[in-house]
Amino acid sequence: MVSPWSGMSNVIRPLRELWGRLFQPRPKPALASFTEIFDHFQELLRDHQQVMELIADLGEKSGGEYIFDRKYLADLTERLKTLLLRMVNGLNLITPRRYVDLYSTLDRIFLPLDAELRGRLSLSAEMPYVVPLKELPLDRPELTGGKANTLGRVIQSLHLPVPDGFVITTRAYRRFLEQNQLEDRMHALLESWASGEMDERQTARQLQYGILGGVVPHEVAAAVKRRVEKSESYWAVRSSAYGEDAEVSFAGIHESLLHVPPADILPAYRKVLASLFSAGALLYRNTMGMLGEDAAMAVLCQETVSSVAAGVVHTLDVADPQANSLVIYASLGWGRTVVEGTGSVDRYVIDRAPPHKIRTQEISLKRTMLGPKPGGGEEEISVPRAEQDKPALSGEVMQTLVQWALVLERYFKRPQEVEWALDGDGRCWVLQSRGLMFPKAQGWAREDVVEIGGRYSALLQDCGLVAHAGVGSGPVYHVDSDAKMNSMPEGAVLVIKYTAPWLARIVPRASAIIAERGSAAGHLATIAREFRVPTLVGVEGATRVLRDGMHVTVDTKQRVIYEGQVHELLQYELVRTLAFEETPEFRVLRRLLKRIAPLHLIDPQSPGFSPEGCTSVHDVIRFIHEKAIEELMNLPSLVRRFRGVQVWTLVSDLPLGLKILDLGGGIDPRARERKAMPGDLLSAPLLALWEGLAAPGVWSTDPVPVDLRGMISSLTKTRAEPSAGAPSPGANLAVISDSYMNLHLHLGYHFNLIDARLEPDASRNHIYFRFVGGVTDMTRRSRRAQLLASILSRCDFKVDTRGDLVVARILHLPREDMHNQLRLLGRLIGFTRQLDIQLRSDEDIPHFVESFLREHLPLGAMSLR
Amino acid sequence: MSTDKLKVMVLDDEPIVCKRVQPALEKLGYEVESYTDSHAAIHRIQETEYDIIVTDLKMKGIDGMQFLQEAKKRSPRTEVIVITGFATLETAKESFHKGVFDFIAKPFKLSEIQDVVNKAAAKIRGSGT
Repeated sequence: MVSPWSGMSNVIRPLRELWGRLFQPRPKPALASFTEIFDHFQELLRDHQQVMELIADLGEKSGGEYIFDRKYLADLTERLKTLLLRMVNGLNLITPRRYVDLYSTLDRIFLPLDAELRGRLSLSAEMPYVVPLKELPLDRPELTGGKANTLGRVIQSLHLPVPDGFVITTRAYRRFLEQNQLEDRMHALLESWASGEMDERQTARQLQYGILGGVVPHEVAAAVKRRVEKSESYWAVRSSAYGEDAEVSFAGIHESLLHVPPADILPAYRKVLASLFSAGALLYRNTMGMLGEDAAMAVLCQETVSSVAAGVVHTLDVADPQANSLVIYASLGWGRTVVEGTGSVDRYVIDRAPPHKIRTQEISLKRTMLGPKPGGGEEEISVPRAEQDKPALSGEVMQTLVQWALVLERYFKRPQEVEWALDGDGRCWVLQSRGLMFPKAQGWAREDVVEIGGRYSALLQDCGLVAHAGVGSGPVYHVDSDAKMNSMPEGAVLVIKYTAPWLARIVPRASAIIAERGSAAGHLATIAREFRVPTLVGVEGATRVLRDGMHVTVDTKQRVIYEGQVHELLQYELVRTLAFEETPEFRVLRRLLKRIAPLHLIDPQSPGFSPEGCTSVHDVIRFIHEKAIEELMNLPSLVRRFRGVQVWTLVSDLPLGLKILDLGGGIDPRARERKAMPGDLLSAPLLALWEGLAAPGVWSTDPVPVDLRGMISSLTKTRAEPSAGAPSPGANLAVISDSYMNLHLHLGYHFNLIDARLEPDASRNHIYFRFVGGVTDMTRRSRRAQLLASILSRCDFKVDTRGDLVVARILHLPREDMHNQLRLLGRLIGFTRQLDIQLRSDEDIPHFVESFLREHLPLGAMSLR
Repeated sequence: MSTDKLKVMVLDDEPIVCKRVQPALEKLGYEVESYTDSHAAIHRIQETEYDIIVTDLKMKGIDGMQFLQEAKKRSPRTEVIVITGFATLETAKESFHKGVFDFIAKPFKLSEIQDVVNKAAAKIRGSGT
């Protein structure tokens, strides 16, 4: 791409200065000519489109189907930067220089992006010393450590019960080192160890001495105190080192202190920090090639569960990995005996497949157990004789543990080792979950996996688009109603016609998702990625071929759906392949996406709709797009600015008075005198919309029955009184080209904006629809917004509403589908033109939704709900 | 079945590429070794003959071009697939018009690399070794 700025890479500030030099010295630069304005406008639209594509591209990469590296992320960010800069320049040429503030906005957004790309352990000053587990930022494992990050996911994404608590972050650790001036000392000690002057025991002793004697900085201590002062329980204080439980396992190397009274948390904290530098930990990190100084310790503090039984679940039998069974280990009292491999432990081997029958059980004789020691700590307690030879667990508890363990494994994509506890009230808790370590027998499962094709029949092959890569298996479950949605079994393969956004809440329960329609950039695909559910969209005939209840295995990496449970493949994926979701590249990608993709600026009338209000790349281009169009939309002023601009008038039966600006190819060249008939329109989006608007019965001219209140309300409002989100009234205007349309329609008191592109390449296609205003009171207007929102989301749009403002989007569908959606929008605009007067109560909404869908949707196209 | 397994080497200094390509190819029945260090890979091709080599173009140490030449010198029948950045794809195609089986631009889909390797394998098998 050629850009005047492309040579200047890293920082935007010099560019702004350059901009300043270029344009400031001229006292009043000549305004751009009309053609230039449109050139800039077209370029701006193209750049807007390209940015949207790059954002979509980046989103697509988060699905795991692509292999990319850091360079790709850096290049893409660089391209975004170039495009945005050009867009900001363009806007300032179109509007004459009203938005120079956007240059600082670009700085504000891109500098952190650069930091994300650079840094592995970038702990900025805004990051907290202490965070509650429930609010843990999941994309920051370097702040909270691996173990806490995992628990954060278990709580926030999987909603399994985890004892409440908080994390003292790695930033607090850094602060601790700083305050106690330990960094240099550490460096020197590690050097002497590396050079062989000291052995690891001496090094460890000195390092630990420094930490144990250190003072916890008062801001850290105060933050901890706020978390524990109201608590009456005891606490478990555990290590959560960065890197721990992720790619390398530190299981058992760092300290965990149980049953700590609130007053002793700070000394416990120091002990756990010190364990980062035990001789064992030093040696281990050395073997793993991780430098001592890179290590950072977060500490996890959780309320202690007074358990009557505890232990671990292995989702794979380490002794017999091929056996398709999982193993529960259980002891009475506290679980440390199981984790540490001491004491008497029950072992239950259970079928992984439902109904999870017990294959074998070995019940041990339990003479003693670990329990709380009065005043803190733990002690050995003797077990009453009658209990000693009984199983530690009931069948019911085992079922719960098995299901949770499988949910955890499905999410983390690895065989799991789950620590659990059962409390006195019979409730189970997840204490932690980590990848199960077991010896990798060379080559096992590999042969099997190659020959799957010969052993299992493929029901569907090479079809659909990958929204999230992975392998999942379970019974097929069709959802076509609310009732069915609520009763979907855990681990089913969800098969649907459309990726309707309201299905989002059952996504976490699915082991895979197959949709006949929908886009890999849609809302449901995003949710599927959030929960790491393998998902294919656009699988023709899926609901026909995949019958309700049949067991299937879905491999979205190969885009194959097999009949039955392909055990070899499932195991291969679990054991042999990399869980891409856990790689640093994907983590960086997700963080970049958070600063790039979300759209926060929705309502152009809100005070936050400003350069300062932009917090993502998407916000910036939305803002620029809106302001550029606003400029072109104000037709009288634009024409005044540019005498001689050629505007077409659409001549038709519909009383629209539509003016058209043709950017090229939108109107038949044979049309004359600046008057176009509908038959002269060549713009694909406008034609599609027109089909809907002009369809028989849509533009009803019948008088609308008005109830008294609505009538009075509409009589007392004047047109000059703007509603919350309505722009100033202007002419109906369309800016079009052969494949593009930006349409502003004021119909009565409603204001519709549709921005759409329809091209052969589906990835370039989009529809944005915005609807505001109305003559009746706010309640009724909101009701109409709800009505629109429910119709649009039923038709696969992603919809946001605020008060009476409705914003709906749909992206990347093939041209024919986009055509149909636009036709539908045309009908919807006609339908809702006078509707708020008819909407008397909330109960009317479903009725109108149904009547619209019945009348205007092709038969059978939408049968959900 | 396992006796006629083709041997594939994957060389890319970005570990994530190796970590993801290796299982994707193993799944198709290839015997795969992957290297992130081009010197180690050079060393390895002195002692083993590979049917297919997938190599990145730009790497630290020896670059893909040198590696390709060396590999071809050791074993002319080895098919080489070159991974390049998207921007350098065309340049790469020009400068390598001989000796390369195919090019693949980063970022690529798992299925793309699988397809290209399968095609190379079909060529090897078709030529009746």
